[in-house]
Amino acid sequence: MLFTSITFVIFFCLFFLLYWFVFNRNFKLQNLLLLAGGYVFYAWWDWRFLPLLIASSSLNYFLGIGIYKARQTKQRSLLLWIGLLQGLGTLLFFKYFNFFVKSTISAFATFNIRLDTYTLNIILPLGISFYTFRTISYLLDIKHGKIKPTTDWVVFFCYVSVFPCVISGPIDRPKTLIPQLTRRRVFDYAQATDGMRQILWGVFKKMVIADNCAVFTDNIFEHYKTLPASSLLFGAFLYTIQVYADFSGYSDIAIGLSNIIGIKVTRNFNTPFFAQNIADFWRRWHISLTGWLTDYVFAPLTIYFRDLGKTGLILAIVINFTAIGIWHGPNWTFFLFGFLNGCYYIPLILRGTLYKKKKITDQLQPALPALLGVAGTFTLVMFTFILFRADSLAQAFDYYQRLFSRSMFTAPVIIEKVNTAATLVCIVIMLAAEWLQRDKQHALQIDFIKKSPVRVIIYYGLILIIITFTATRNSDFIYFKF
Amino acid sequence: MKSTVKFLFKTLLFALPVLLVFEVLFRLGYFPIITNSTIFDLKMIRLQKQHIERVKVMSIGSSVGLYEFNSDIILQNLHTSYYNFASWGLQIGDIRTLVKSFAKDYRPRYVIIGSSIGDFIAPLNETYLNYVNTGTYIRKNFPEVFYFKNYNSIHQIIRRKHTAFPVQLDSWGGALLTVKAKDINREKWNEHNIFPTKYTAYQYHELDSLGIWLQAQHIKLIFVQVPIKASYANTPVSKQILQHHFDQCQAIIEKHAGVYLNYHNPAVFTDSLFFDQYHLQAAGGRVFTRQLVVDIKKIIK
Repeated sequence: MLFTSITFVIFFCLFFLLYWFVFNRNFKLQNLLLLAGGYVFYAWWDWRFLPLLIASSSLNYFLGIGIYKARQTKQRSLLLWIGLLQGLGTLLFFKYFNFFVKSTISAFATFNIRLDTYTLNIILPLGISFYTFRTISYLLDIKHGKIKPTTDWVVFFCYVSVFPCVISGPIDRPKTLIPQLTRRRVFDYAQATDGMRQILWGVFKKMVIADNCAVFTDNIFEHYKTLPASSLLFGAFLYTIQVYADFSGYSDIAIGLSNIIGIKVTRNFNTPFFAQNIADFWRRWHISLTGWLTDYVFAPLTIYFRDLGKTGLILAIVINFTAIGIWHGPNWTFFLFGFLNGCYYIPLILRGTLYKKKKITDQLQPALPALLGVAGTFTLVMFTFILFRADSLAQAFDYYQRLFSRSMFTAPVIIEKVNTAATLVCIVIMLAAEWLQRDKQHALQIDFIKKSPVRVIIYYGLILIIITFTATRNSDFIYFKF
Repeated sequence: MKSTVKFLFKTLLFALPVLLVFEVLFRLGYFPIITNSTIFDLKMIRLQKQHIERVKVMSIGSSVGLYEFNSDIILQNLHTSYYNFASWGLQIGDIRTLVKSFAKDYRPRYVIIGSSIGDFIAPLNETYLNYVNTGTYIRKNFPEVFYFKNYNSIHQIIRRKHTAFPVQLDSWGGALLTVKAKDINREKWNEHNIFPTKYTAYQYHELDSLGIWLQAQHIKLIFVQVPIKASYANTPVSKQILQHHFDQCQAIIEKHAGVYLNYHNPAVFTDSLFFDQYHLQAAGGRVFTRQLVVDIKKIIK
């Protein structure tokens, strides 16, 4: 069930009532309900993959205890490798098996060697990329002595499948989430209210901005061969906004729901479009994933390449980002997406400004250099999102080629002027609100407005925009396919 | 507990004005967008308002079924409960989906499908699932739920109401149409839809499945081939294609104990009775329905 569906609203209302009025006597009961709710939510998508989720949880639960209790390093390493192989192996199989087969066939075909096609009709289990990373970080943290394993299997299973986050994250670390599951959650009015506000903001981003942008970008990308370059640029711009609004909207809803049930979850986006360079951008975009890969991929790589100086750092970054790209899916476009983003870091590394954090401004208006940095970073990111959207490298390169043509200076073709204007206005509202509230967790944290009628007007204003301009199509969240 | 109740109460209080907005919209005639067919949506809302419990004779079909079945003539001759569920653009597969749903709700004993070749040329319209997959109780009592189920924006709802083709439905779901000679679309007058298409075989399969299902439910299927203007079959090839279609449909229907009636007769249904290649004017509909009731009176008891 989509978060924005009536089925989910009914489900969550029932869950809320049971959670806070019936099962709230102790954390064990709360966790049992949380687990049951998580499995109902997951199975609603496709019950056939529920056993896989349960099996993965079971295996990693026992492996965690085994790694902790093992006396010898070899034993610990062996158990860790079993967990890694299971997790990554399952992920690789479901996500990349057909891709490897087809790529191998294509590679041999370039040498005129014809191989028999043997691909399987594999359906990607929803959320596998996210819950696999949760289990892997659990095992790695135990191995490195950062945490102790939990002996309460319900706690662990809840950690893996906490339902607002099981499908598309955020990917919380065991250190953040497990302690919350080992104590009774007490209803916090302020936290729940803030959760509702964040949900409202997320719904606005998803249903108004992302879904309306999708209508235009689908049309532009489908007919890009017949459109002028200005339309292609417009399409690239809208698609970048769409991915952000869709994914951050989902994250806002997931975080908001978690807050309502008394669980604090990692922030996943921190106004990435106000980043002044690419490093800043990736510190703000899909924070839980980039943080995960930084700790478990980038950090070990920097140690491995430490003797190579800046070259080693470049290698580590490029490999890390290529992994980010590949994580998104079995297509060379994602590989190139990641690789390109890694390459964007090279000037920063060579200049030695990689870790330099610049606050954009405390003023309402940023200074010109900061503004140029923001515009430049957005442009770089926008170009990589063309790869993200394209079905193939050929299509992406064709798009790029047509983008850099003289028709850039002609007016873009706009089919539905009113809808386009409304969407652009809503995009401006989103960016303006996030700019003004850039030091807050989300744009609707407006407690500083003391007069409650003003706050109510703002909330209803947003609701009015949602019910007036929501796109009629009912689309899945983009990151469900990862 | 107190703060939880306070939170719940405030949330409901907040949601109430939003729900009221949609209720007001509904009362003002700005109905939710259920499917991508304005006429179907309008009919379903009408049905809900009419509180129809049972329909002994159900007719359904695409626009030919909508425009050409004269409700008055049918009622005067059959003296039984009747409703016309036809809607623009329905393909046979869509008809099958809808008949299965309507049969549960209205328990007909007879289903009359008014059909032409246009019902066998396109893929299924999945938006009808938005309607049939919603519980009967909700459809009949709380159609406002569709505002939230299908993410209607108020902008889209208002635009639809003011741009939809105006159709005057009678109390039994029919809609006879009279188009003046000067308003007849010259392009559509001798239009030749591509037939068969890549979907035709699939639609025949759907008709077969519908026949099987209705037979199992002991509901009599009466398949009515409505008249087509003479100029459609003006070459030996098109005559052959048309005849093959008639034979195909007849074989399928009679295999499942249904009744096949064919009113394609250019000698009786002359050009003046049509407003385009496939649709009869109101006058033509009266001629056609009078002939139809003579035949179906022998079947319907």
